[in-house]
Amino acid sequence: MATAAMTVRGVAFIRNMSASFHCRFQALIGRCPQQLSCLHTSALLESKTWERRNLKVFPPQKPDEALRPAEIHLSRRQIKYSKDKMWYLAKMIRGLSIDQAVAQLEFNDKKGAKIMKEVLLEAQDKAVKHHHVEFKSNLYVAESFSGKGRYLKRLRYHGRGMCGVMDKVYCHYFVKLVEGPPPRTEERTGLDEARDYVQKLRDRTIIHSL
Amino acid sequence: MAAPMRRTLQVLHRLTCSSLTNAEASLDLRHPVPLSIPVRTKKRYFIPPAVGMKSKMEENIEAKIRAAGVVVKQEYMERPINISCTAGVYDAYIPPEGDARLSTLSKEGLKQRTEQIRQSAASQLAIRKIKGHDSLFKTKEFAEQAQEIFIEAHNALTQFNKAKLHSLVTERCYPEMTRGNRYKTIHWRFIESLEPPKVVQARCPDMVSKDNLYGQVTVRMHSKQTLAIYDRFGRLMLGCEEHPKDVLEYLVFERHLVNPYGCWRLHGKIVPSWAPAKDPVIKTVMIPGPKLRPEDELDAVNLQVPKPAAVQWYK
Repeated sequence: MATAAMTVRGVAFIRNMSASFHCRFQALIGRCPQQLSCLHTSALLESKTWERRNLKVFPPQKPDEALRPAEIHLSRRQIKYSKDKMWYLAKMIRGLSIDQAVAQLEFNDKKGAKIMKEVLLEAQDKAVKHHHVEFKSNLYVAESFSGKGRYLKRLRYHGRGMCGVMDKVYCHYFVKLVEGPPPRTEERTGLDEARDYVQKLRDRTIIHSL
Repeated sequence: MAAPMRRTLQVLHRLTCSSLTNAEASLDLRHPVPLSIPVRTKKRYFIPPAVGMKSKMEENIEAKIRAAGVVVKQEYMERPINISCTAGVYDAYIPPEGDARLSTLSKEGLKQRTEQIRQSAASQLAIRKIKGHDSLFKTKEFAEQAQEIFIEAHNALTQFNKAKLHSLVTERCYPEMTRGNRYKTIHWRFIESLEPPKVVQARCPDMVSKDNLYGQVTVRMHSKQTLAIYDRFGRLMLGCEEHPKDVLEYLVFERHLVNPYGCWRLHGKIVPSWAPAKDPVIKTVMIPGPKLRPEDELDAVNLQVPKPAAVQWYK
């Protein structure tokens, strides 16, 4: 209610102000654009560090060295989805091969899954065309995570004339594909854990003993 | 600038600067041009693409802007044209078949020599025209100079020295040399020249008006070179560092004769139709097969990979 009252007064104020500023506008427009371009715009929207990792050039390898696996970084910004909901999908595909990841996302019912699948296919396409990857299936998801995008704020009206600020959520999604088969994580059984525990107990040293 | 005025000036900046471009492009979808200018409003960190922009685009926006009193600058629909080099190779030299493989003493070699002498009438005329503009031009010296330009240009390409490359190579040749090479490492070495470079053809095309002459000279070079291209990750893509190859090249050099500050620059390369196939890339490449209906099966026995036509082309 307080905000509503402010806007009515504010509009009238703006009208008065704009009338007085009208004469100034002509002078400002007449100024050359170079002088106005020194105004600072927010840097966060333009900085795309994740994509810049694609521009790093490595020195040539000697013939006896092991081949460096190709890495492709891709991101999609301002997806209309929650970053927490996106995280679940990102965690699901971490460490899978690209074919498996695409298959899992295709049959997932979430909204973010469709967008994520597009991003993965785009990354695979770019890998083959621009980053000299030989086989398009020979890729796996090394890193995949979601980040907070820029939110819009809206008013949510409650009862009794109260209102709160509602966030219209947006998120970014980042993925890094690496060439090669997905790394195999060694599965630890209960017996391995028990063996390690017993060994730890045996490795203890008792100080100041006889 | 005081903080409250900053947003106002930003809007004005957008109005004036964006109006320099196309009238339709001035309506940037990310930051729509408001007809009311904000003064001391809450800072919006993110403005989404406006809903209903399509309906707004159809209305007469220009009249509204003029009515609001905002003066829009004159927009010039310009397209830059480069006049320091021509767009291609005019009356290209057609290298005789089996050029570096036949000796002059055999019957085929004699035939080639006679054909070359016949072709050179037009070339002599062109060389006379070039000497008219540049009195110090000599065919033999020029061939040596051309080879030096070629070696320097390729060395600049390996170091990716843009300024030097622009001075040694014309604007038409530059994108062809550098396309796709930005994030790759190139190791190129010129080992030796097997035969002295020879001027085989000269032509003087003109652009737009009769007096605007450009000189194009084709030089034949037979040399030993090594080439190795590494991709972004340092893996060998093409070629070999140790084994040199014999390369027969037909290079075209160009100069804007009428310009007193013009210099001879590499303009392009002629790849003859009988050139041997190059070494393949160190990579498995997928060739798309024939389009099949769901019920058909691929006939792998009768499948023929289409081979490219043997045509002379220009690099």
